[in-house]
Amino acid sequence: MTTDRLYEILLKYAESQGIQLNMDKEYVIEILEGLLKNESRYGYRSCPCRLAAGVKEKDKDIICPCVYRDPDIKEYGSCYCRLYVSKEWNEEKIKHVKVPERRPTDKQGG
Amino acid sequence: MGRMKKARLYGLSTCPTCKRVKNLLDELNIKYELIEVDLLDSGEQWLTSKEVRRYNPAVTYPTLVIEEVITEPDEEAIKEALGIK
Repeated sequence: MTTDRLYEILLKYAESQGIQLNMDKEYVIEILEGLLKNESRYGYRSCPCRLAAGVKEKDKDIICPCVYRDPDIKEYGSCYCRLYVSKEWNEEKIKHVKVPERRPTDKQGG
Repeated sequence: MGRMKKARLYGLSTCPTCKRVKNLLDELNIKYELIEVDLLDSGEQWLTSKEVRRYNPAVTYPTLVIEEVITEPDEEAIKEALGIK
């Protein structure tokens, strides 16, 4: 899988979910590089913005799209990583804020 | 003078935001220690996560720690470092 191909797929996937990928394609490609790196070292695409344990059972909540994506988009217009965003976020109709970590602290730490 | 500041960046090799902070520090010519936690082995990751938690209970990346080291902590140096008169 290449980042360009993954980009094309996720663009369609996001659309099917009624959301979008961040307009900043350069940034998105960096996220996708992280996802593919995690896939090659862990066997699944865990969130590149969070430390994975490397054990699927422990990381299942942060396998992209993470379980926190939808509530984060609903509340802030973007997911924690700013990969998936709402249309309004991309159109700058809502303020771009830093999304606080929704993942319980006891799960953090690899 | 026994006072110096040290910067340490805890990041992930996969995280674009960490990369941006790194670039910013480089542009500003700031010397820092870089710890890419995901590249450490599992024991080191565990230990480093505990370390990050001390500074940032949410254990999120990037976390930048800027510490001041006072090697001769007399009253004057302590007050000066804390900005108290």
